[in-house]
Amino acid sequence: MKHLLWHLGIASALMAIPAWSQSSPAPMSDRAAARLLDQATWGPTPASIQQLQSVGINAWLQAQFAAPVSDLPDQPSMNAAGKTNTALGPVQSAFFQNTLSGQDQLRQRVAFALSEIWVESAVTVHPAYAQPVYWRVLRDNAFGNYRDIMKAVTLSPAMGEFLNLANNNKANAKKGTAANENYAREFQQLFTIGLVQLNPDGTVMLDANGNPVPTYNQAEITDTARVLTGWTYPVAPGATQKNNNPAYFIGQMIPVEAEHDTTAKTVIGGVQIPAGQTTSQDLDSLLDALMQQSTMAPFVSAQLIQHLVTSNPSPQYIQRVSSVFTNDGTGASGNMQAVIIAILTDPEARAADDPNATPNANFGHMREPVLFMANVLRGLNGTLGASSAIQNQTNQMGQNLFSAPSVFSYFSPQYRTEKGLPGPEFQLYSTATAAARADIVNSILYGTLDKSTQFDLSPFTSVGASISALVDTISYTFFYHGMSNSLQQAVTSAAAAASSPQKAAQAALYVALTSGEYQIVH
Amino acid sequence: MFSRRGFVRLGAATVGSLALRPFGLLPALAQGSGPDYRALVCIFLYGGNDSNNTVLPMDDASFSAYTSIRGQLALTSADLTATLTTASGNPVAFHAKLAELASLFSSKELAVVANVGSLVQPLTRALYQAQQAPVPVNLFSHSDQQLQWQTSIAQGSSATGWAGRAADYIATQGYNSPAFPSFLSVAGNSLMGAGAQTQPVEMTPGQSLQLKGFNSSAQSQARWDALNNLLTLDSGIALAQAANDTVASTISDATALGGALSKAAALKTVFPKTSIGEQLQQVAQIIQVQATLGMRRQIFFCSLGGFDTHTNELNTHNSLYPQLSPAIAAFYDATEELGMAQNVTTFTESDFSRTLQPTSGDGSDHAWGSHHLVLGGAVQGGQVYGKFPTFALGGSDDADTRGRWIPTTSIDQYGATLCSWFGIPQSALATVFPNLANFSAGQLGFLG
Repeated sequence: MKHLLWHLGIASALMAIPAWSQSSPAPMSDRAAARLLDQATWGPTPASIQQLQSVGINAWLQAQFAAPVSDLPDQPSMNAAGKTNTALGPVQSAFFQNTLSGQDQLRQRVAFALSEIWVESAVTVHPAYAQPVYWRVLRDNAFGNYRDIMKAVTLSPAMGEFLNLANNNKANAKKGTAANENYAREFQQLFTIGLVQLNPDGTVMLDANGNPVPTYNQAEITDTARVLTGWTYPVAPGATQKNNNPAYFIGQMIPVEAEHDTTAKTVIGGVQIPAGQTTSQDLDSLLDALMQQSTMAPFVSAQLIQHLVTSNPSPQYIQRVSSVFTNDGTGASGNMQAVIIAILTDPEARAADDPNATPNANFGHMREPVLFMANVLRGLNGTLGASSAIQNQTNQMGQNLFSAPSVFSYFSPQYRTEKGLPGPEFQLYSTATAAARADIVNSILYGTLDKSTQFDLSPFTSVGASISALVDTISYTFFYHGMSNSLQQAVTSAAAAASSPQKAAQAALYVALTSGEYQIVH
Repeated sequence: MFSRRGFVRLGAATVGSLALRPFGLLPALAQGSGPDYRALVCIFLYGGNDSNNTVLPMDDASFSAYTSIRGQLALTSADLTATLTTASGNPVAFHAKLAELASLFSSKELAVVANVGSLVQPLTRALYQAQQAPVPVNLFSHSDQQLQWQTSIAQGSSATGWAGRAADYIATQGYNSPAFPSFLSVAGNSLMGAGAQTQPVEMTPGQSLQLKGFNSSAQSQARWDALNNLLTLDSGIALAQAANDTVASTISDATALGGALSKAAALKTVFPKTSIGEQLQQVAQIIQVQATLGMRRQIFFCSLGGFDTHTNELNTHNSLYPQLSPAIAAFYDATEELGMAQNVTTFTESDFSRTLQPTSGDGSDHAWGSHHLVLGGAVQGGQVYGKFPTFALGGSDDADTRGRWIPTTSIDQYGATLCSWFGIPQSALATVFPNLANFSAGQLGFLG
């Protein structure tokens, strides 16, 4: 029976949950529930495992799509000294509070994944108030349609600032300037289709000579830059509209026809955009041309799979998801809910729910620092006080929230481990950050992170007198109730040498949380 | 009155033998007065430094064409150092915020290599536009061009970097202690240092790799043993093994480094308190303890980001160059303090240069060939190697119509010149730079 869920069509999964699925005679095991929750939330807890088990995967997904939405706090534009307020700490720590207490766990995870595809960064967008506004664009569209994400992000002033779509004026012969190519290039290279054409299963399309087929050429980038002229920042309260408004990050950017290049252009796929269109019409023509690109479905699907489930999906898995991206069963493409259901209910994602299934050694993905920190917080009953600086910990591990070093994010989807296996998050995992990761575990267990960040180890120390109970509690909390034998032995030997139940719990948790097995969501 | 730099140099010359004393006996192969030690130090300028505004040919024709095309981005004489004369007698000037580097050019420790970039083979505008010769894949893309600078493989992806392949060769020659990697990054993971047989070590400047929280008690030892034993066992999860491999490297590298660094005296050279300053300070501290570490050939990797100046370029350079220039100068001073100036060569890399034609918003877009800097006591400085492009949109050096220079020197030639000095023989260069044979001049002459 446990295989039944995999065979549900997407269309039926989108419908109201039929009564029979709620009375399914095979409840999810702890392992199956915890695995799904590690892929779809910030980490399983006893309460979330029980909730998922009680309603089943389909009802749980539908409930997540409808869950109340968490928010990040608005920030003042000026600080007490009258300067631009660039202090992101309150937004970053609120992000972690949401990972702990927000009911919209899946929405947060998908929005976070989107934020690492549609990267905008405080490294160059300095005012702190811009970041919650940008986050809401991704959050509010996470369960919508990919075309809507494309348009909403394109017109968001923070992205406009980051990749210079804001105040991208048409060529000016007197000044000798050309339209700015930045957004035209990265919008296509990173957010929508990539550099090379892909088959529906994500493999690279090759020409007759065995070479990859590019998605676009430089001439098309130059023309796309011209398509994307004529947008400026929203008018700040009290200000007067100009052709080039000063930076202001609330609301959507507005078109300025006087700065729009109205000549004809040739864009992606050789699509001709006729002369004489308005700024908005040109943008819609470009979005339509991109949506027609068959490469978009595998390009986006593979990255979402990598963020949620596994670094190394099979071509068949990518193809199953990208076919849903292309057509959700109603003829619509880019349906994010359908894509998310396809990713999380795919047989490849769910295979290891069965502990007796043949293991796939290459399955899973590394917990990037934000996932690691959130998972530890949830597993060790963390509480964040008003002055918590929890965000400093992910920064130590190479991931400063809302501050990716460039539009190429914190890590590349193409990054491989030393042995050549795809492992994007490993780009952030070095001898330096591996030490930082272990030292954070050490501080949590044996000291403090900061005085406003607290953990409750009592579920572990209270069973510390019984090593088998301790191992079982750790396995249930952090390892889908399926800790490997070798890890059990290591944890046991460390706990057995400890001088008290508390020290046994500390030693056991240290070995468990620093293990390679824990770093990988599998 | 001596300049500070002159004083340091004089001091190093007179107390050179004393300066070596903390390092114990010289390695067996040491020759002459200095140790047998060579280090390459890469400073990667992430984002694509617009080198059109780093160093300029100052002949009237070039400067006039530059001023006319660059528009809002044109540097004036007030934004430039005094005009310097190269060893060949040509006038050049640096961005005024690179005054320390211009000074090192004048004193012949620094050279410029003009219009270097990714190439499969020599290319002309006609060949490029007619698509009649192989060209690098995914030109003008940050990620691809960064990797091509780090791998030298312009045709596509590579699992190893050129410095990693150089480290592979070094590992076969008995120069270094096998207990420590030849390639050390203070700027995170980079493909540049990945070899087929050797792997890099990464440090955060100023931070130890030693795992915290262990002591000599029996229970601490049991926890340490449990952690270490796990690293040797197969969990059945390939990515978990990859994570374990990194932790195993952390532990072994920490042991080697901690022992060496704990014995070192503090450097007298004062480094700027910037990211690049702290990175270079850490590199200098490692070089200081090379003998204790048992290292005679090392490659280091540092970086400075923020060069993707699609807008607001002049202000951005005015913020970044004052970080870069004094940090590099301090690093050179530190190598003199250590008596190692002849043994250390520092060089720049960057994704690409940028369009000579400005873009909306007072910036420039992604281009191709770029000018680079090489610094060290062994460098034949005060000279420009290679050829500045002709400043003409749609001209003979332009890939299209915006001033994207087709490189006239390849990354392979640039890297091979560095690696030859470093100790990679001709026979091994073809492995480190597989495309090198496509270029007639395998050496550029800026070293030795």
